[in-house]
Amino acid sequence: MRSKILLGFLSVFAALVYSPAIANACAVCWAGDGGPIEEAFNWSVLFLMAMPYAVVGSIVGWLAYSYRRSAAKQQRNEIAQPLVQLAWNPEESGR
Amino acid sequence: MARSSTARQLDEAQPLETKKPSFGGGGPPVPPVRPNVTIGSNAWVGVIVFLGAEAMFFAGLLGAYIVFRVSASIWPPQFQPRLPIGVTGVNTVILLASAVTMRWSLKAVGVNDYKKLIRLLAWTVALGGIFLAVQGFEWLRLIHFGLTVSSSVYGGLFYTLIGFHGLHVCGALIWLLVVFVQAKQGRFSKERHVGLQTCAMYWTFVVALWPVLYGLIYLL
Repeated sequence: MRSKILLGFLSVFAALVYSPAIANACAVCWAGDGGPIEEAFNWSVLFLMAMPYAVVGSIVGWLAYSYRRSAAKQQRNEIAQPLVQLAWNPEESGR
Repeated sequence: MARSSTARQLDEAQPLETKKPSFGGGGPPVPPVRPNVTIGSNAWVGVIVFLGAEAMFFAGLLGAYIVFRVSASIWPPQFQPRLPIGVTGVNTVILLASAVTMRWSLKAVGVNDYKKLIRLLAWTVALGGIFLAVQGFEWLRLIHFGLTVSSSVYGGLFYTLIGFHGLHVCGALIWLLVVFVQAKQGRFSKERHVGLQTCAMYWTFVVALWPVLYGLIYLL
């Protein structure tokens, strides 16, 4: 337990001390201090980030709509089955 | 009264362990009101997954276009031929009309109207072919005026995006021709027309994609 706590403190210390001052790996940061290229990349990244959600959301929405339509159609077509049998059942009545 | 409304014997107290519930108990389980609902065939799922992949493919191309379009100070670039907005607008209407005839053909097969189905499929094939022919003719004119893949970034983006869409329309048209032949052979009915449905899904996707490309590349 003590070794785990010590390991946790060491990890936090290392993250604070060795954090990089300049993020040279960022694909947008290399473009400089703003400008049209940075704005272009921003819009492109936002668009590409949104697309998977849009695609999957559309597919799921269409499937849900198709299921509800099929279920409603099936309910209309099938013979209605009673939820509860209303006929007198002498075995159940105890008489 | 409910089935299990048990008439109680007032002169005898019912022991708790034999007491039956007052509603719905004692009998066999009631079958569910909604049994398994079949939305469509497995082919639908396959086509949907495929269309999702196609959508992401075009999203990648559009992402690249957005980068060049937004970063450019002047667009379209100077000394490049201008795109035929009017002719392509009419072509867009032709392609949208083909989607309408495709939808009508699905309704026709739903009522087993085979003559109408074949007629509407023929119209869809014809409208799709006209769209491709006009696009090809306009491309030849643009190449003649100097807009090529290697002439500029503008040309490269245009031919990549519009070219891939044209390729998809070509593939959809080939599929549609196969479906048309199958329809003429009488292979579709009200109960069984999955091939027609999946082709209609792909055609609708290809048609719905075109106004997006037309708006972004030709108009903006």
